[in-house]
Amino acid sequence: MRLGIPHMGNLYIPFKALFQRLGIDYIIPPVNNQRTLSLGVRYSPEGLCIPFKLTLGNMIEAAELGADTLLMAGGTGICRLGYYANTQEQILHDLGYEVEVVQVGVSERKLFGLLEVIKRLSNNAPWPKIISAFRFGLAKLNALDKIERVVQRVRPVERIKGTANRLFAKAINAIDRADDYDTLKKVQIDYIDQLNQIDKDTQYKPLVVGITGEFYVVLEPFSNLDVESELGKLGVEVRRSTFVSEWAKFSWFLNPLGINEKDRIHKAALPYLKRDIGGDGWESVGEKVLHAKEYDGIIHLAPFTCMPEIVAQNIMPTTKEKIPVLTILCDEQIAKPGMLTRLEAFVDLLERRRRTYNNDRQ
Amino acid sequence: MEVYLGIDVGSVTTKLVALDGSNELVTYLYLLTQGKPIKMVQQGLKQIKQQLPKDADICGVATTGSARYLAGVIVGADLVKNEITSHAVAALQYIPEVQTIIEIGGQDSKIIIVREGIVIDFGMNTVCAAGTGSFLDHQALRLDMSIEEFAQRALGSRATVRIAGRCTVFAESDMIHKQQMGHRIEDILYGLCQALVRNYLNNVGLGKDIQPPVVFQGGVAFNQGIVKALQEELNTEIIVPSHHEVMGAIGAALLVHEEMVRNNNGSKFKGFGVSEVKYHTSSFECKTCPNLCEIAQLSLNGQVLARWGGRCDLWERSLSS
Repeated sequence: MRLGIPHMGNLYIPFKALFQRLGIDYIIPPVNNQRTLSLGVRYSPEGLCIPFKLTLGNMIEAAELGADTLLMAGGTGICRLGYYANTQEQILHDLGYEVEVVQVGVSERKLFGLLEVIKRLSNNAPWPKIISAFRFGLAKLNALDKIERVVQRVRPVERIKGTANRLFAKAINAIDRADDYDTLKKVQIDYIDQLNQIDKDTQYKPLVVGITGEFYVVLEPFSNLDVESELGKLGVEVRRSTFVSEWAKFSWFLNPLGINEKDRIHKAALPYLKRDIGGDGWESVGEKVLHAKEYDGIIHLAPFTCMPEIVAQNIMPTTKEKIPVLTILCDEQIAKPGMLTRLEAFVDLLERRRRTYNNDRQ
Repeated sequence: MEVYLGIDVGSVTTKLVALDGSNELVTYLYLLTQGKPIKMVQQGLKQIKQQLPKDADICGVATTGSARYLAGVIVGADLVKNEITSHAVAALQYIPEVQTIIEIGGQDSKIIIVREGIVIDFGMNTVCAAGTGSFLDHQALRLDMSIEEFAQRALGSRATVRIAGRCTVFAESDMIHKQQMGHRIEDILYGLCQALVRNYLNNVGLGKDIQPPVVFQGGVAFNQGIVKALQEELNTEIIVPSHHEVMGAIGAALLVHEEMVRNNNGSKFKGFGVSEVKYHTSSFECKTCPNLCEIAQLSLNGQVLARWGGRCDLWERSLSS
């Protein structure tokens, strides 16, 4: 058996660590690129969303490299995602790839689903070994997300644009290469240190924009045309609560303290949306309400044809917590110049709004 | 005399305006881009130089529109601004109490919502160009009339003809169908105006709080048929500023004036001489990583002036170092 996984941001790094520690034969397809997208678009039904198309592209590229088993998120009660793994498996079979697509439930707040799948794929490795490998994967995930949070803070204020991004790319590589906890810890401290030492404009007070929306397009820069880096270039600080490590913490483990960020977000959304509508629609509305006071604006990322996010898109402008929202629909047709024009105009809007309302705020 | 230049290079037309130190319009130009943005900017500069008074001193230049970065490099712009902000600033200059700005250009259409002089929301057509100037042009051409005649005849409509305006392809076949059935051409033309307005309000204007005063600018505001249809649909007066077609360029000039006063660094304007130079554009596929970005570059005498189009800053960086 050779296991392949589709991409979502840097998630392949913790998975790689997990597979290595368990001695699973695996293949990581090339990171999302133009070819992945073309393959995915060519073999997907047109009305499906960009996460489906890109992950299908990844699977085809993994199959080309010899993968015969593929991991894919799935589960019930989410959105069309529940059907994706089966549909993709069917498409791959039609294309002549004899592969099995194994689903990992992401809707249940349980660690067990993933661990059981891993147990099967690792040829029944003993539980302690699985747990220890899983812990190491999570440590890498946490390190990645910790560094990314620093990158988000540095991007808008660095004097030479692009410095933080280049360091981040190096850090990702270093984390990928680290094969024990000590090295990992060192890499994390070292890169956070380097990021903090970047020459910054300390006088400049960046606008703060929150990023919310559908999980995949928020976390996969290829699908959102690097919206976070582009905002950084425009001198805007990005905040988001969607990180895989956060989600893992609340979704896979039974949280011992019973604290759940998601509950807080859902509660905030209640006056406008009383229930889960699939996908991350409920969270999108909740985040807007919750952060209206601390952020200057919100960028709402939604895959084109995503029903839950369309519902959220229509609710967001109507809440009484007034804060500008810009919805960006992500699909294979989205053109970068058009997106940049909107981003620039949105930042101008926020800047002028801040200049005028500044006195009220203080 | 202090002069601020605003250059708006759009998909279909190129606009240049010159404002004086008190933001009064000195002169302006309205040219067809014809798919040659560099040439039109050069030609525009040459022409506007002749229209300017002899003692004109260019104190600042700004570019806007879809070719704003390209035009910015060519003229040595002090400010490169997106067209949404530019249009809003210009509308606020002439109609300070404006609450809604409708802008329909050659290839895109926008709505800008303003409250108490601040832009609070905007929208831009995303999936479809139905209802923009290019489509109207195309229909006028098909009916063998000028776009001016199109507008005049649409106003002569007496009966309602409903045209499907969701998509330009279907709108066209629907128009042909109505023609074959024997409807008057005036009624069909006005029906098309109504369809485009409906389409605009249902797409770009969806969920936007449209409040009067409503200002209508951009090239399509020349079309009295569209103005009338908008007026009927929104049930309010539609204000068309006298220089509606160059408002984007005016906005850019206003913004660069503000910027130059604030920074006081002296303009980076390369002078009217740039209209004589021969620029060269080319593009190539970067093969450094699997993204295969298409990089476009602008060069002068073999020296590369600017590069665009990469997902990372590899090529832009190689230029500055």
